[in-house]
Amino acid sequence: MCLGIPGKIVEIRKDAELATGVVDFGGAKREVCLSYVADDVSLGDYVVVHVGFAISRIDEAEAHKTYAILQAMSELGDLDFIRDNAESLLGEAGLPSAGQRPPESLL
Amino acid sequence: MKYLSEYRDPALARSLARRIRETATRPWTLMEVCGGQTHTIVRQGIDELLDGAIEMIHGPGCPVCVTPLEQIDRAVHLAGRSDVIFTSFGDMLRVPGSDCDLQQVRARGGAVRIVYSPLDALRIAEQHPDKEVVFFAVGFETTAPANAMAVVEAARRGLRNFSVLVSHVTVPPAMEAILSAPDNRVQGFLAAGHVCTIMGFTEYEPIAARYEVPIVVTGFEPLDILEGMLMVVEQLERGEWRVQNQYVRAVKRDGNEAARRTVHRVFELRDRQWRGIGMIPGSGLAMRPAFAAWDAELKFDLAGIVATEPADCHAGEVLRGLMKPFDCPSFGAMCTPEHPMGAPMVSSEGACAAYYNYGRYRTGSPLAHTGAGLPILGHA
Repeated sequence: MCLGIPGKIVEIRKDAELATGVVDFGGAKREVCLSYVADDVSLGDYVVVHVGFAISRIDEAEAHKTYAILQAMSELGDLDFIRDNAESLLGEAGLPSAGQRPPESLL
Repeated sequence: MKYLSEYRDPALARSLARRIRETATRPWTLMEVCGGQTHTIVRQGIDELLDGAIEMIHGPGCPVCVTPLEQIDRAVHLAGRSDVIFTSFGDMLRVPGSDCDLQQVRARGGAVRIVYSPLDALRIAEQHPDKEVVFFAVGFETTAPANAMAVVEAARRGLRNFSVLVSHVTVPPAMEAILSAPDNRVQGFLAAGHVCTIMGFTEYEPIAARYEVPIVVTGFEPLDILEGMLMVVEQLERGEWRVQNQYVRAVKRDGNEAARRTVHRVFELRDRQWRGIGMIPGSGLAMRPAFAAWDAELKFDLAGIVATEPADCHAGEVLRGLMKPFDCPSFGAMCTPEHPMGAPMVSSEGACAAYYNYGRYRTGSPLAHTGAGLPILGHA
């Protein structure tokens, strides 16, 4: 029920009493009420939309930071994994090359 | 889709799950508050990916599930009136009332319309000045600003044939009710990210301190949920209980002030009955007297409609995390998504429907052979 879908603001209507605009959700465009984010958004920004209302602007810098941390965590985890399981992984194949993931079945 | 698909990366998810398994030195019990998160956890097989490292209890954060029976009966009553067009979000239509649900009212010729936004209901009222248009305002703090705006707009446009049946609930009192129960098992929370886009998260700080539980504001995609779980587990392992924010891309500490202002203008706090749980003091929102003209409860004198919940539905125990859906004697037999007894089997965000649809049956159950769900992140 509290479903919120991220979309890109492609149109802002300034004339109406109630601030509205058009948000593009990966190709599907919908009219959205922007009054709760009006001071915070401009054309091209991404917003979270819930029941026809933009409720929050997506902070792109924070979004990238979160994703980068997750990726770094994953790579770090893989390195730990390779170190901890070196014997069983090495076998006859030798050292896994940089960036190579351990076999999925072991994860 | 941007800001969705990158948070669904299966390789990253498996790596995060492994980190959680490595970090947890004992099987911690966590609760995800929001039904949207329940849906993701069960559908994507995150619970199975963790392989017993932590137990997830599915919280009461599904508005469809906790809307009290008598509000459904009141909705059914209104929808049956010949002068009313009753408007609602789609997932409320199949919630069983005492005698029938809104869908059955519609089948008998009642004017029941599904709307995507409360502003759509307002538009219907403008198009039908000869009818009373009632909107069923359910939801948590996430939805309250939209519903409050519909009331403000109705007042501004002078729309007297529009009213709302208010059944709003708020999250923090429910978390306190769970934590203060003598049989509570929850050791840490994933707080509902979209509720916090509106409310921020300062109101969770006294709860975390009083009950000594870590609370992490968490998003809805698989990677969000796994990262939120990891943050809770790390706190538990260190013996900490802080409020942290995993969902930084959408949630600010102080939330959305403009939205809160409108909610406060239209609604006030009230004790509210939660279906299957009971009365939680100060957990609901009701219309302020200034907007009484748009309050369906007053306009149609609904106070006389009261109801008692059926005893053979264990939804309350499921919603409080005391029972898994498959432990209910009615699960999958007397109660299915086609013929639900309780609301958690109706909504796709309800724990019972999620367990039924994605094949979480008790081992040895006659249902088990009907096939498990297809968790994209689950074991290959």
